[in-house]
Amino acid sequence: MKYLKPIIVIIIFILIFIFLNKLLSPKYMTDLVEGNMTYEYYDEEKNHEVIFIGDCEVYANFSPMVLYEEEGITSYVRGNSQQLIWQSYYILKETLKYETPKVVVFNVNSMRYSKPVSEAYNRLAIDKMKWSKEKIDIIKASMTKEEDFLSYVIPLLRYHSRFDKLTNEDFEYLFKNKNSMHNGFLINKNIKPVESLPTKRRLSSYEFEQNCYDYLNKITKLCKENSIKLVLIKAPSVYPYWYDEYEEQIQKYAKENNLDYYNFKENVEEIGIDYSTDTYDGGLHLNLDGATKLSKYFSKILKENYELTDYRENEEISKIYNEKLETYKEAIK
Amino acid sequence: MLINILLLILSIGIYVSFGISNLIYILFSTVTTYVAARIIANKRVTKGGEPYNVNYTDKENKNAEIIEEVKDENSKNNQNKKNGKWILIITIAANACILIAIKILLYGQAKLNWLSGVQIIAPLGISYYTLQVISYIVDVYKGKIEAEKSFFKYVLYVMYFPYLFIGPITRYEDMKNELFKNKRIKPENIYNGTIRILWGLTKKIVIAGRVGILIGTIASDVSAYKGAYALLAMLLYSVQLYADFSGGIDIVIGGSKMLGINLKENFDSPYLSQSIKEFWRRWHIALSSWLKDYIYIPLGGNRCGKIRNKINIIITFVISGFWHGMNYLLWGLLHGLLVVYGKILKTKWKPINIIITFLLVSVLWSFFIWPDTLTSIQMIGSVFTNFNYAEMFSNFLELGLNMANIIVLIISVIALIIFDIKKEKIISKIKNYKLEGKIAVIGTLALIVLVFGIYGIGFNVNEFIYSKF
Repeated sequence: MKYLKPIIVIIIFILIFIFLNKLLSPKYMTDLVEGNMTYEYYDEEKNHEVIFIGDCEVYANFSPMVLYEEEGITSYVRGNSQQLIWQSYYILKETLKYETPKVVVFNVNSMRYSKPVSEAYNRLAIDKMKWSKEKIDIIKASMTKEEDFLSYVIPLLRYHSRFDKLTNEDFEYLFKNKNSMHNGFLINKNIKPVESLPTKRRLSSYEFEQNCYDYLNKITKLCKENSIKLVLIKAPSVYPYWYDEYEEQIQKYAKENNLDYYNFKENVEEIGIDYSTDTYDGGLHLNLDGATKLSKYFSKILKENYELTDYRENEEISKIYNEKLETYKEAIK
Repeated sequence: MLINILLLILSIGIYVSFGISNLIYILFSTVTTYVAARIIANKRVTKGGEPYNVNYTDKENKNAEIIEEVKDENSKNNQNKKNGKWILIITIAANACILIAIKILLYGQAKLNWLSGVQIIAPLGISYYTLQVISYIVDVYKGKIEAEKSFFKYVLYVMYFPYLFIGPITRYEDMKNELFKNKRIKPENIYNGTIRILWGLTKKIVIAGRVGILIGTIASDVSAYKGAYALLAMLLYSVQLYADFSGGIDIVIGGSKMLGINLKENFDSPYLSQSIKEFWRRWHIALSSWLKDYIYIPLGGNRCGKIRNKINIIITFVISGFWHGMNYLLWGLLHGLLVVYGKILKTKWKPINIIITFLLVSVLWSFFIWPDTLTSIQMIGSVFTNFNYAEMFSNFLELGLNMANIIVLIISVIALIIFDIKKEKIISKIKNYKLEGKIAVIGTLALIVLVFGIYGIGFNVNEFIYSKF
């Protein structure tokens, strides 16, 4: 009994500490909703036959609800803003702990980045990831020079200065967030046609770094070990960031590893994308209309080539998906 | 013993982590002063002198036999001193010359573009450990202390990492007992040490960190921020430097306390001083007392004529300025003059005296805010010529801190002032708290530091202002 009071005081402070960690961490509900992408997956029924991994070019351009509506495909986009290739690998590894899809679709755009880029993007991808070995590995692989591991363990160390920026949102979503995505797809209905494009930059080297190849090999190996068909894609974009040299290297890699590769930049007309109406940022990403067109197009490819189940005929799953579809249709109105 | 071995390994490890080249300088100082002290001590023994002053009582062995008085004390002591005088002079000169040369070279490179292409970096903590080793060899020579036989113990005294970077500058006679006594890590020391560390961190990253943002903005553009802004920067810098330096010392003292090592205080509520003379008894006490014992008194102190005494004071303060860097010679000179002639500014009202002293100290900190002496003088001048106070108040929130942060700063500075005024009362109250009370104090301070501290990306918490001198 001698230590009862000190123990009670310690417990009180631990609770206050936990509360402050929760309170001061960003909730990503109205601003930067991309910060919730990793987290929203955990609430899902894990019944996906297709998993997308990659950067904004997947979560902005591919709508799982369209894939379901068109071909009955169950899918989820585990994308993040500027998801780097090692992040894609660890996110996939984590996903495989919950479920084993038939197909993993990887957007190769991240082959361009061999080093950690920005703390802000790291945070959006990693902060809300559940603790696991994958999370430890993803943090270690992603940290920029100025970051430290401890601030991922104790978010208060990173977000303490938000004490003067707290809003009602921080209290409302203190313990539970509201889903903003639709199976990982982020709806953007805005239209900003292509007007001018940045000039094509000359690079000192067009070779992908070995580090990127290492992770691509790891993704390939992981899929093979789990009997998953890995499909490489390059999402459409009119920005001149995907060089011919890149394209050649990916084609070569796909051929050598017996992988399918689709570069949708080449099929823009066939897909029906109109860059005066189907982009929300002047041609870098597709908006809702563009994503719907691309998803419809890709759903046919997936259905025809990868022996996917039509879950519209499955009572249990169709019930879940029809509800999701209803919510989705409400959101895109 | 085991703790001391670990402390030594840790100290060397931490020191080397900042660059192995640092080790050369500190080893030079350590080895030269250790060997010189041993030679001086041995000469005394072999030539029939006493190994140390007859009046010295070994604190470590209080019950041990008190050294008996020796006949012809004066003549033998004089003989002993002659024996080691040249060794003392050469050892001091060698160590002081390195420090002096580095200070001059750093200034020359920064201001006069000397040795362009070569990067001169001051060895870490050189300003602190040089003074420590000089005090050691002088005290051995004077017979005030016995020369340390164990090289291991002496290295630990010089390299003890908590005080190596920002002080306090310690004396061997104080540290010998503290470092080498049979330490027991007591829960009481852990609690009190932790509270002290957290209080230091509060000062360092809640107060100094915030003030640093405001001063950074003001000092970044001398053409835009002068007059009222300059005065604000001077007043704020007083707060920043005190919070940063004394906060760092709190961390050093608290950390040592946890190991059962008691270090002397380095500050005694300095901004409550009623004169500049008093300020220097309460600010950076370790440096002030070192300068008094090893510069001012050897110069003659007050045992000479009035004019010579005044000159001695001024020389001591100019050397204090030099210790901070060549940039601060004028700052030292002005402080010396204010100590000598400060009486004329003294009134019979205590609060007025405190305010006058605070203002004078703040104005003189200008030399630390702006990059060169001329700019600092111009900024002081602008306070009296540029009356842009209304503009400053209306733009106050554009200096880098929003209202919420200003409120945090004001509250924490008020807490610091209250603590300084009622320090003894508060400390004794906390010491008497039961365990749960102490845990509550620790928890509260920890949360304050974690939430309101200025740290994270873009802020270097490890850097203390006084570590660069």
